[in-house]
Amino acid sequence: MSGGGDIGSTNTKTPADFLKSIRGRPVVVKLNSGVDYRGILACLDGYMNIAMEQTEEYVNGQLKNKYGDAFIRGNNVLYISTSKMTLADGA
Amino acid sequence: MATEEESTVKEPLDLIRLSLDERIYVKLRSDRELRGKLHAYDQHLNMILGDVEEVVTAVEIDDETYEEIVRTTRRSVPFLFVRGDGVILVSPPLRTA
Amino acid sequence: MANNPSQLLPSELIDRCIGSKIWVIMKGDKELVGTLKGFDVYVNMVLEDVTEYEITAEGRRITKLDQILLNGNNIAILVPGGSPETE
Repeated sequence: MSGGGDIGSTNTKTPADFLKSIRGRPVVVKLNSGVDYRGILACLDGYMNIAMEQTEEYVNGQLKNKYGDAFIRGNNVLYISTSKMTLADGA
Repeated sequence: MATEEESTVKEPLDLIRLSLDERIYVKLRSDRELRGKLHAYDQHLNMILGDVEEVVTAVEIDDETYEEIVRTTRRSVPFLFVRGDGVILVSPPLRTA
Repeated sequence: MANNPSQLLPSELIDRCIGSKIWVIMKGDKELVGTLKGFDVYVNMVLEDVTEYEITAEGRRITKLDQILLNGNNIAILVPGGSPETE
């Protein structure tokens, strides 16, 4: 195993750095199934298990459900994003 | 491991720990949902639930009109074991809209 | 390392991409292009200014994202320098 991510260069941000920086922030969590969860990130662990607050579930961009608290099992997670999303239709 | 107060959510599994003996909502793969009382769980999210209502959602296409028909099947199970690898999401159900 | 016959380890190649555009092709119908900020031993990656391409029944959906942590689990191919379309 070669840990390429832990180089000391100033402009790098490893997954561990990212995880530390996003607690308490609004996030979008996308699952492999394509479902999006938007809410406030309470905490997460090394498996990418996630606890979220004020969670909204979007299927095909449509709001389907709301959860006060939600635990998302990490193996379903495609990505965790800090951004507000902008959608556009491609060709 | 530092010692935490029992009520704080320091890691995601704490959210599950705080739901022990509460009714929870579990979203599973292949469009299955469970609502039941959480009796036990482990780090894989294997769970033991009691007084469970299971809802299975299936979308069928009508052979003639090609319309999508959403079918939900409900059943009650007094007591069951959920294997953790099928779990997508867990939430305390009372707050779901 | 001494017994590895190749000139460049795969992880070193990815390491050289830090700070530049990278094209990520996932298992299944998903691709992402973004600037690589870092990665770990599982090839989980932090990407910035990301464009996500999803092939759906309705056509291709494009999503723009500021910064993401991409789960390395479903990554199939990495192409340094971004995709041909975004250049």
